[in-house]
Amino acid sequence: MLTSPSGLRIRTIASSSRPPAALLVLAAVVVVLAVVPVAHLGLRALEGGLETLQPLFRARTLELLISTLALGLAVTVGAVGLGLPLAWLTTRTDLPARRAWTILAVTPLAMPSYLLAFSFVAASAPRGWLAALLEPLGMTAAPSSYGFGGAVLVLTLTTTPYVVISVRASLARLDSAGEEAARSLGSGPWAAARTAILPVILPALGAGALLACLYAISDFGAVSILRYDTLATAIYSQYRLSFDRSAASALALLLLLMALSLVWAEGRVRGRAARQVAHGRRRPARVVALGRWRWPALGLCAALAALSLLVPSVTIAGWLVSGWRRGPQLWDAVDALSDSLVLAFGAGLLAVAVAVPLSLLVSHFPGRTATATERLLYGLYAIPGISLALAVVSLTLNVLPALYQTLFALVLAVALRFLIQSVGALRGPWLQISSHTLEAARSLGERPPGVLRSITLPLLKPGLLGGFAVVFLSALKELPLTLLLAPAGFSTLATDLWDAAREAFYGEAAVPATLLLLVSFLSVGLLVRRGDVQA
Amino acid sequence: MSGMTKAYPAAVALDDVSLELEAGTVLALLGPSGCGKTTCLRLIAGFERPDAGTVEIDGRRVASPTSMVPPERRRVGLVFQDLALFPHLTARQNVAYGIRRDPDAVVRTDELLELVGLATDAERLPHELSGGMQQRVALARALAPRPSVLLLDEPFSSLDQAMRTQLRSEVRQILREARQSAIFVTHDQAEALTVADRVAVMTRGRILQVAAPEIIYAEPATPFVATFIGISNLVAADVRAGAASTRFGLVRLIRSAVGDDGGHALCLLRPEHFSIEEAPDGGASSDGWEVIDRRFSGSQILLELRARDGERLWVEAGSRVRHLGSGDRVSVRLRDVETVAFMRRSAGAQAGRQTPAPGKLPVVERTR
Repeated sequence: MLTSPSGLRIRTIASSSRPPAALLVLAAVVVVLAVVPVAHLGLRALEGGLETLQPLFRARTLELLISTLALGLAVTVGAVGLGLPLAWLTTRTDLPARRAWTILAVTPLAMPSYLLAFSFVAASAPRGWLAALLEPLGMTAAPSSYGFGGAVLVLTLTTTPYVVISVRASLARLDSAGEEAARSLGSGPWAAARTAILPVILPALGAGALLACLYAISDFGAVSILRYDTLATAIYSQYRLSFDRSAASALALLLLLMALSLVWAEGRVRGRAARQVAHGRRRPARVVALGRWRWPALGLCAALAALSLLVPSVTIAGWLVSGWRRGPQLWDAVDALSDSLVLAFGAGLLAVAVAVPLSLLVSHFPGRTATATERLLYGLYAIPGISLALAVVSLTLNVLPALYQTLFALVLAVALRFLIQSVGALRGPWLQISSHTLEAARSLGERPPGVLRSITLPLLKPGLLGGFAVVFLSALKELPLTLLLAPAGFSTLATDLWDAAREAFYGEAAVPATLLLLVSFLSVGLLVRRGDVQA
Repeated sequence: MSGMTKAYPAAVALDDVSLELEAGTVLALLGPSGCGKTTCLRLIAGFERPDAGTVEIDGRRVASPTSMVPPERRRVGLVFQDLALFPHLTARQNVAYGIRRDPDAVVRTDELLELVGLATDAERLPHELSGGMQQRVALARALAPRPSVLLLDEPFSSLDQAMRTQLRSEVRQILREARQSAIFVTHDQAEALTVADRVAVMTRGRILQVAAPEIIYAEPATPFVATFIGISNLVAADVRAGAASTRFGLVRLIRSAVGDDGGHALCLLRPEHFSIEEAPDGGASSDGWEVIDRRFSGSQILLELRARDGERLWVEAGSRVRHLGSGDRVSVRLRDVETVAFMRRSAGAQAGRQTPAPGKLPVVERTR
């Protein structure tokens, strides 16, 4: 390149790597909103000096740490062990009714872990329907769902879809060329799978496993109901029962650090993983004929669907029937439904509104700002809900009392927590819109507002819908933030269910559970149909 | 369109570039990647602002450092390298986009779809069309609003060789018939020479020469142009009185001005300037050349020769010596031709070549 004395430069409108100031300001606001509560939590835990940190050095804390880690590990192993074969069966084999099984494999996304836990407890109770079913077989009682085993089962079923979705996407993108090259170089089918497929899908598997593990260690509802003590349940009981805020803060900080170090560790491992290099035309992968293995494969799929969908559905149906006899409590549930919808719509709309510009930043202006913002949002998503809830409570109570237990703070916290999902849904559509696409429209005589209306919005539409639906669904199922941040008198389907579950009032859970599942199935259906969740 | 001038010295991309396009003609901007061709187009289209200089279209000033007419009001059509078709619109909707408020939009769209041969595929979405068809949609879309000037950025680079050749001649015909002024950017010299009425050769943000393709080939203005276009041999010469004396004898020069009398120069000799014969004595004579490479392209055969002293030369093999291959020895004769020569001083500065190793004869340069 020549450098001439004039030193003049040409600046481009849309293809430069410098993002517009407005985007940077928005990113800064989001960053501040995300960092402040967490920083505040850290400060609170530290300002009391060693005294505040005292609870961390009790033997009880070590026990909780171990029980949390054990749960995380077991659930990760379970979710990978089930999710990997399920993903492979539904993408690369001639499994009968493949599409149906795929949908069944991802539908448990709609099932909140606490509802699954609650229905397991109810089904396996001494006079539950599972016990009745097992009686003729000579078993006096169904196996108990309480404790470690139950928690691992419920959370594995809840998190397997994350592994399935992540690995399926990677397998679907996988070019058959690598596998064919391995075969031509003398590897058998198994060796080829191990050497040519596994390394390429490893990042996706890692991402799925990370989600499963994060979910398990930060889950609050299911482990409470299943009476398995983890850091999350201890934080809540410290906060609710003993009103010991600083002990709760210290534990919340510990859990938060645990989650973030998992994210960090996974990032380190992934950094070295292989990336697929695309050359030429991709060919769809070969379909493996299962032969006799068809039956065990079908058995696996059916067993999973039965446990994660059939058991809770039958249980809830049972509640509905018995609840109806005692007279319907529809009106309470309608209140909860409307509160749930207010929260879910509010958080979904807010998240999409912020995600549109943020995903533009992330997709079209790669650089340090974009990377930092994205990482931070991932971090926020990884932070256990109960830790974030406590951080926001503490911040609003001490610094911004005007916001303490307001609907605004709740919606904001929920939207921020799930913002990355929305950004993820919009990134793809944004990438489809190159600066050239917009320039083409302008060179054809369209002014900027017209370009927005005729090109940008139609192309973003799927991302807008997907980005909304995914946050809507998350907000609908959200429990710990709502429990701690909701204004007085504000109760959602999730919190109603939680109350019913804690007192084992199955009948009261019937209507909220049904409504929650209906709305949540609808939004998963929307996501599956749109292809956000590839089925 | 009466004419267009622009001149903008810029540090990075463009350095005092001026171009003028005659109405109804096609100009090719030819140069290696990164030479500023695309920046040039984007300045004309209005997606970049010149730091100095102006752009005029149809006598109307559309850009200067202080004033900018927005792209949508410039009447400039644009075909992007990546086509930038609207993925959510069908071929027909893409073509109609720029004229959808015109009363005769339907007629005009049909006419254009017919023109580019897409009438039967009009209702398909871009991803359902082949690469060549997508190209035609992009072209028709840009032509639809009858732009004053059509700009094409490497329009054929994404196509395979056969499709490229076919589409090239189609586009040329379409532009001719519509008497459409157009500028297209390419790094492919064959494309520039076949499609354009005039070719502007650029490198490092400067325009080296603007001329008809034949002139560019026969009378390149600089050694860079000579080596960038076609296959060339630059042979050491002494320039005296409108002629260059080379190891092949005296060559007449087209432009006497080039030869400041008595200078060391590089004389451009194209492969077709030579005739060769099989050496009768098996290559014993001192001017014997050895064939070291052979390139067959169907219509012609090029041979690369090496002299005893190491000098290399590309020559065209006539019909009588088509059978020659590596290892054969030939004698070389220069035909009666006129060519150009470049003074050595400027040649070295221009392309930044290394000084040749001592004891070796410097000079033959060849490039595809």
